[in-house]
Amino acid sequence: MKIIVCMKQVPAAATASIDPLTKTIVRTGRNAVTNPFDLYALQTALDIKEGVGGTLTAITMGIPAAQKVLRDAISRGADDGAILSDRAFAGADTLATSYAISLGIEKLGGADLVVCGKMAVDGDTAQIGPELAQHLGISHVSDVTEILEMAEDHLVVRRVWDDIDQELYLPLPALITVAKGVNLPKLPTIPGMLRGRVAEIPTFTAEDLGADIARCGLKGSPTQVVRTFTPPVRGEAQEIEGNETQQAAKLAQIIREVLHGED
Amino acid sequence: MDLIRKLVSADEEYLRDESKKVGFAETISFPENHEQVREIMAQLYKDGTSVTVQGSRTGLASAAVPFGGHILNTSRMDKVLGMREKDGHFYITVQPGVILQKLNKAIAARAFDTSAWDEASQAAFEAFGKAPVQMFTPDPTESTAAIGGMVACNASGAKSYHYGATRGHIQALRGVLANGESICIKRGEIFAKGLDLALTTEEGNTINVKLPTYKMPNCKNASGYYCAPDMDAIDLMIGSDGTLAVLTEIEISLLPVPALSWGVSTFFEAESQAAKYTKLAKQIANGIVAIEYFDACALDILRKQKAENTAFAGLPFLPESYGCAVYTELHCDNEDQAYELLESLSKYCTQAGGNPEMTWVATSDSDRDMLHFFRHAVPESVNMQVERTKRTYPEVTKVGGDLAVPDEYFEELLKIYDTTLEEEGLLHAAWGHIGDNHIHVNILPRDMDEYSRGKALLAKWAGEVSRMGGAVSAEHGVGKLKAPFLEVMYGKEHISEMAALKAVFDPKCMLGRGNLFAPQEEVKA
Repeated sequence: MKIIVCMKQVPAAATASIDPLTKTIVRTGRNAVTNPFDLYALQTALDIKEGVGGTLTAITMGIPAAQKVLRDAISRGADDGAILSDRAFAGADTLATSYAISLGIEKLGGADLVVCGKMAVDGDTAQIGPELAQHLGISHVSDVTEILEMAEDHLVVRRVWDDIDQELYLPLPALITVAKGVNLPKLPTIPGMLRGRVAEIPTFTAEDLGADIARCGLKGSPTQVVRTFTPPVRGEAQEIEGNETQQAAKLAQIIREVLHGED
Repeated sequence: MDLIRKLVSADEEYLRDESKKVGFAETISFPENHEQVREIMAQLYKDGTSVTVQGSRTGLASAAVPFGGHILNTSRMDKVLGMREKDGHFYITVQPGVILQKLNKAIAARAFDTSAWDEASQAAFEAFGKAPVQMFTPDPTESTAAIGGMVACNASGAKSYHYGATRGHIQALRGVLANGESICIKRGEIFAKGLDLALTTEEGNTINVKLPTYKMPNCKNASGYYCAPDMDAIDLMIGSDGTLAVLTEIEISLLPVPALSWGVSTFFEAESQAAKYTKLAKQIANGIVAIEYFDACALDILRKQKAENTAFAGLPFLPESYGCAVYTELHCDNEDQAYELLESLSKYCTQAGGNPEMTWVATSDSDRDMLHFFRHAVPESVNMQVERTKRTYPEVTKVGGDLAVPDEYFEELLKIYDTTLEEEGLLHAAWGHIGDNHIHVNILPRDMDEYSRGKALLAKWAGEVSRMGGAVSAEHGVGKLKAPFLEVMYGKEHISEMAALKAVFDPKCMLGRGNLFAPQEEVKA
């Protein structure tokens, strides 16, 4: 099985400290780490690779220094990694990011399974996984809490939201995003660390990927951040039943209700 | 007098510490500053009342368990008083009740309440804000220890392998003597002449001390008074177990945080492989700041905890082939140095008969937290196990060794531990500072018979360690529990010299009664 896991470099919030004089965050340059949720994705991918066999590639998009997360992934057991790095990708929202990553995955020859963390701790959007699946034209299941069965051509996964407990049969190729409790990520070994350090990490630019520049970076990002705030405590999850059309209609109704208070 | 009040039933907690021993006392006080301590001590001196000084009562040797008289609890002396900068080095003056964990957080976040600081301290704080992030390196397992307690027992921890015990990080002390006079000692200012030491109190009186003649062990040591020809006077007060003065102000020195801090746990099938690996790792001159050991029983306890207790479910999975573990912590200036060290450790692991794939490397905060959880889960789990036994046998406590020996005797000591524990058939777990030849072998008694046999075995080991020129307490301090061992270690004559030294500071023998010198009566279990 060919598995690709998506990784992101994020600031290490725990190490952030405030300068007593300027009252700003002290940025030492040492405080960038692998997105903690991605470690669960990586471990899921490693477990599936161990169970079914195959290859595991880690992919990321970011500044050249972000390849550190790929070396981290290799030190933890990934076979190799690839970084998408280009000024054209800068300022990308989730749509532009997932577009670029989808091209990166295609450049790598595609995948039977793509694994993402539930979300990144800096943006908290949880959108990359589903959007990436859409770009790739494959099925996806988000927030997987357990891998119940693994085989060359399918997975059976479980996800639990509030009082909703689902077991889903997922034919491959597909994408999953995994929740925090799905496993306990293992630590790197010394040989893993040494492998990660010397691994050749290919860099793909927008041109290498044949990307439509209008869909990359800031240009390709319809999202505008108006303000940031702590959202109120969310209500319980709802399960939407029916066929795709019925589900979409119900979802649209819920969004209208939230946005406009319509009934 | 208001500062001293009668002990009431609500004060019961102040009769015990982490050693789980329970003492007795008649009065208690919670002073807030040096002047109040002076007032209290002057009053008690008049009455000849004995005084037990308490920090946060996290000690394991019963030093803070009162032995009658008065409890002077320093928990309200919890202010950071000021800061000093000299040649790019930073020093912080704290009251003895400041908690290590809080202090470390404040240092890391560079967040202190400076409102009461003088101008010089404010200026130093400004420089501190611009300087590289600093740290206070002593790291006893119990991070809620009070700085005063750490100085009293010369506490150390994992990183003392490289940075040394608390002693080396204390720059100045101020305290109150038994008679209520004040004393202030700054490092580098007052030295003994040979074994003669003269100190002057702030009131102008001179104390002439004859230092004991014993030679301290050539290994990690927190047993008895620090004594050496021409020594710095401050070192006598550090590690004196609350028997010479009540500390009221402590100046600590800081060091810059290293650019990189990595943790490496290496697992072996056999103890002999771990010992060989440690010996090889100790050859590395720079970059390794801690070498810690966890034996097979300790790892088994963790496996059991992970399986049975949800609070420990987050512990990493330990394959059965992982027999014992050596944890090393690397502090490096750059990644090149860190990777070189990894390569060396990998080589040494193989040479010792291990498999470098059986390692965990932590380079990020979350991975370091994981290893920290793993290391600290061992003593926590052991304490939980002993607490369960205590429900049936209330007098039972953990019987824990704190013994260290010089390099040449360490393998012999390990053999003695193995042989005698097997002979006695006692449940045990061992972990600790293998880099300093200092492993805490803990006996976990399941009944009173095992408790008695465990204590007898510990006494036997103390004898063996003394024969090897080692220390009966390497980091916990002697307190009350290890006082009989101190006599075994140094002999009656040297104990008399220590007692004579104490008598100069404390003629009425009021301070820390029962600490260092075996008490006349057993403290109740």
